Amino acid sequence: MEQSYQDRFAALGNPDRRLLVGMSAASLVALALGILGGVLTALARGGLIDIVPNTGYRFLTVHGVSIFFYWLFVAQAALLLGFSAIENGRGLMRRPLAWAGFGLMLAGFAFSMGGAHMGIPLLYDGAPALAAQTPRALLVFNLGYLLLGLGLMVVPATAIATLLEPRRAGREQRMSGVGFALFTWAGFLIVTGFAAIYTFLPGTLWALGLGAMPTNHGTNWHIVFHNMHYLPLMATVILWYVLVRHLTGVKSVFGERFSKIVFSMYLVFVPPTSLYHMFLEPDLPGVVRVTGSLLSLFVSVPTLTAFLIIVASLEVHARAQGGRGLFGWIRMLPWRHPAMSAIGVAVLSMGLGLAFAFVLIQEKLAPLLSDTFFVPGYFHFFTVGTVSLTLLAALAVMLPALGGRSLWRPGLLRWMPWLVLAGLLAFGAAGVAAGYLGVPRRVIDVAYQSQAPALWQTLMATVGIGGVVMAAALAVFAAGIAVSLLPRRQAAPHAGGLTVTWGESLLRPASSAWVGPLSVLVIVVAMYGFTTIGFEMMQSLPVTAAGGGGH
Amino acid sequence: MNEDFWLIVPIAVVWAVLAVAYAVAPWGDMIGYAWVWGFGSILFVGLAALLARARPDNAPDGAVPDTSSR
Repeated sequence: MEQSYQDRFAALGNPDRRLLVGMSAASLVALALGILGGVLTALARGGLIDIVPNTGYRFLTVHGVSIFFYWLFVAQAALLLGFSAIENGRGLMRRPLAWAGFGLMLAGFAFSMGGAHMGIPLLYDGAPALAAQTPRALLVFNLGYLLLGLGLMVVPATAIATLLEPRRAGREQRMSGVGFALFTWAGFLIVTGFAAIYTFLPGTLWALGLGAMPTNHGTNWHIVFHNMHYLPLMATVILWYVLVRHLTGVKSVFGERFSKIVFSMYLVFVPPTSLYHMFLEPDLPGVVRVTGSLLSLFVSVPTLTAFLIIVASLEVHARAQGGRGLFGWIRMLPWRHPAMSAIGVAVLSMGLGLAFAFVLIQEKLAPLLSDTFFVPGYFHFFTVGTVSLTLLAALAVMLPALGGRSLWRPGLLRWMPWLVLAGLLAFGAAGVAAGYLGVPRRVIDVAYQSQAPALWQTLMATVGIGGVVMAAALAVFAAGIAVSLLPRRQAAPHAGGLTVTWGESLLRPASSAWVGPLSVLVIVVAMYGFTTIGFEMMQSLPVTAAGGGGH
Repeated sequence: MNEDFWLIVPIAVVWAVLAVAYAVAPWGDMIGYAWVWGFGSILFVGLAALLARARPDNAPDGAVPDTSSR
């Protein structure tokens, strides 16, 4: 019988455990700091606390840097190593490399946080032009990203060595679907580390007096940004694939090879779709804009395909267990496990995020919306609802198994993702509507000496309240998972009561599964709906907007 | 060289083509994209080579357990 993930994590040696626990703890510290910065920013933007704008921008910088760069990427590194270690079955190979990479990331975090508190707040993209008078602040800030980039290039080497070891030792002829996914994930992490170094090195050289002020930072930022928002999404679908197996015992009904093709496709589609970031460039020829628009349609193909594989596999197995009705089988999923709730919310958030993303990346709408609150309004569906909850779901499986203890209060924790969703819906709906109505992003006070429409402030207050609810629920969820890091005081009961085992169920030939395709149809309809609403609302605005620096 | 190898190859090829396209693009100062995707292409060529090399030389096809269903 196949060993459960819990047993496989529990079987890891102490050196591996120490590394994985250390990295997970560091990622959760970054998340906690980022949440704090986010709450303060949301309250300031909602007019619920009165602070000078500069302080607000500093909160925003801490929020963006901590969450987007350190929480998302240190957690990914920890989970990549953890699942690679159990995939191998014999623990991590070349572990010192991973420690070195983790050390670089930690040092990077310290520098980035230091830089965030020096000089003019640089926000998370660290534009050198903002630091023209304070090169030392930019130096400290950029050193953080450079160290993070180096760490991202070093840590995955351990995962790659670990995943190749069974093959090298002759125990394996080809990788499993999960092993191959982890292998490609590791490669993409290295490329993203390189992109971060490429983007932030010129500014660092300028700050050291060794180079000219980089005037093309905006273009370079788009490169690292493109990678840094695709990579967590790739990690998300890989983790869904892995976690669904842990929670239900279900493997893909389409076979391992098809899963590998989808994970490979993920990386094939990444670079061609990056063109839409250039839509705001004035010298971009029309033919390139059209090509970029067409290519951008491929942007979610691998994500949706992986989603379809997982949902169809679950539906077929749930029906074999007696699930009835179009949606009735969904009730049979192991919702008592907080990781299942987190994945459920992540899927719903991804649907909403994709619908709005397709609105934003249209060539005609990108210049109108890119500098509005539409952007933070929609991307929190991805960063919080989809990616952060998925990473936390994976930590909720890995950390208790590593610590040899049961997950803290699963009955309470399972409701937190839904509370996150409630806050997110308020934050996202108000934020997107505010964006349609022209509320700028990256502006702490949108009152403009009471000259701005009153509705702007109402919408931003809703954003603030939604943000606080979302942040509080996320903090409780993360803290509950972090309890697993504490020394064990009780024997660890098996999590079997929270999961189901459908893997051995006998499937009916020609089983049908409609919820996956139906979900994609809903996303497409929503995309058209939100696009139409967007045009209608913006046509009623008294001004014709023109975009700036993009997202 | 099995499916693992052949599924890495298209990544390296597409990234290389994109890197060249961005390198010669006369608009938008896209050389950064060329560097990043070019580096990625070389990296995935390296990973494909590791996959090709990692298979034990003394084991003919099928002589080692196929764990692809694990």
